[in-house]
Amino acid sequence: MTLLDAKLVSMRFGGVVALSDVNVHQEAGETLGVIGPNGSGKTTLVNVITGHLTPQNGAVLFDGAPLLGRKPFQIAAAGLTRTYQSVRVFSELTTRENIATALLDAPRPLPSDGVAETAEWLGLTPRFDARAGSLTLYEQRRLEILMRLVQQPKLLMLDEPVGGLSSAEVRATINLLSELKARCTIFVIEHTMKVIRELADRVIVLVAGEKIADGPPAEILSDQRVIEKYLGSVDA
Amino acid sequence: MNVLTSRWLPHTIFALAAFATPLVFSGNRYFAFIVGITLLSVLWATGMNLLYGYTGLMPLMFAGIAGISAYVTIGLSAAGWSFWLAMLVGSIAASLVGIVLGLPSLRLRGFYFTLCSLVIQSVITLAFVYFVNLTNGDVGISHIPLPELPGGGQLTGTSYELVLAALTVIGVVVLTLLVESGFGHRLIAIREDDGLAETLGINVTRQRLAAFFIASLFASIGGALYAPYVGFVSPRSFDVLVSLNIWLMVAFGGRGTIWGPVVGAVILAPLPFLLQDYYMIKDVVYGLLIIGVIVLLPAGIVGGWKRKAAAGEPAPDVAQKTAPAR
Repeated sequence: MTLLDAKLVSMRFGGVVALSDVNVHQEAGETLGVIGPNGSGKTTLVNVITGHLTPQNGAVLFDGAPLLGRKPFQIAAAGLTRTYQSVRVFSELTTRENIATALLDAPRPLPSDGVAETAEWLGLTPRFDARAGSLTLYEQRRLEILMRLVQQPKLLMLDEPVGGLSSAEVRATINLLSELKARCTIFVIEHTMKVIRELADRVIVLVAGEKIADGPPAEILSDQRVIEKYLGSVDA
Repeated sequence: MNVLTSRWLPHTIFALAAFATPLVFSGNRYFAFIVGITLLSVLWATGMNLLYGYTGLMPLMFAGIAGISAYVTIGLSAAGWSFWLAMLVGSIAASLVGIVLGLPSLRLRGFYFTLCSLVIQSVITLAFVYFVNLTNGDVGISHIPLPELPGGGQLTGTSYELVLAALTVIGVVVLTLLVESGFGHRLIAIREDDGLAETLGINVTRQRLAAFFIASLFASIGGALYAPYVGFVSPRSFDVLVSLNIWLMVAFGGRGTIWGPVVGAVILAPLPFLLQDYYMIKDVVYGLLIIGVIVLLPAGIVGGWKRKAAAGEPAPDVAQKTAPAR
């Protein structure tokens, strides 16, 4: 079943072309990875799909319904949610209050035993009464995911979920995300190839706002064009 | 539930104090008047706290909204309406204006919204001066009739202060209920990070405008009752200095806490009366207070005290095992 279908999406900021006729298609249950150099339009793509930006051209269908023109809170209510590249939690509120806020306007809130179970799975239960701003980056990243999961989204878009984490934490996050695949469909932007290689069922490559490749990770990561334009000799 | 252990204990004490103080000073009209103005200030500060403390917007047109309500109420009363009906219509009308004046908050954040609200306040003040046939311009309106009572007679003296006390207590209770409700939690989320709140499904626009409506109701009801109580209004009664005074009460006491603005108003509202003999230095004292609050008490009296209490708690790692579920 098609979950997300973005067609010919173009986004310009003045004279700068951030996305040019990009097509993205994602099946329910399929983990889609997005890679590309800095400034290639990956975050812009997420901003367009989640209603934070309105593209000049294109159409986005989510679960069969058009998304363009709808506000971010309406798109969240439809079951499409996202995290941010730089971690964003309500840092003055406690972990518990952060979770409660995520539950306020969730159309399908997770029942409280489910919330407790998910928090336990993410290892956040001991931090419930701590101010979110006092958590470590890795804990804040997991809190972000928990705040999305209590809303039982159909699609979770993660924007660089391991950014700034240590290699041990990256390892642990990959394990968490591979378990997360059983809970909801994941769309993930990442620079760390290990994440893409281990998690993604399919990868798209954006370069300068254009999609230059789309396919299984093993094939894409060995594609000569992708290596030339993006990976180079470095495999992070 | 036992009153002494109830979460409503502070409210009960406040209500007792609010009703007792006018009775204690009923023998001296001058002191009783200071009490009445203080009660009105508590109501206003509590209303502004919903916007400044809980939604994160500093509305410097607050006094202007109170003024619109006051002039509408005076006008309708003069046209033969019952004061109470005029107050109802005036307050709702001014609060709807408050929603419109809150629209810039959808685009402007922080300092920029404050600046915009300052301009709006100036325009309202100019309008009060300009529309002479409605407001009597700079001359002002004097001899405003007292509200009539249902059984005949007028609301006057100590009974006026008791009505102000009742509305102030209701105002504080309403704010408490709002802040503890889902609405209050949505506002706090918007204050902390409106983009994240929207991503989590919160309709930021609707919540912000609802906050403007409710805060404007506090301003308007206070404004409608202020006019007959003082007996005289002019554009000066509702200018930017009045907005800043109310803001100072909220900031000085502690924004984003129920009791901070109450404490701030109780301390600051009587001050101009007590400093009357030192008329020249009154403004200097106010200026120093504003600077002092910003530098020394960024979270206000109550907020600062709460922060100290939180700092005294054991580290979260220790607390987690014993922390009770809230």
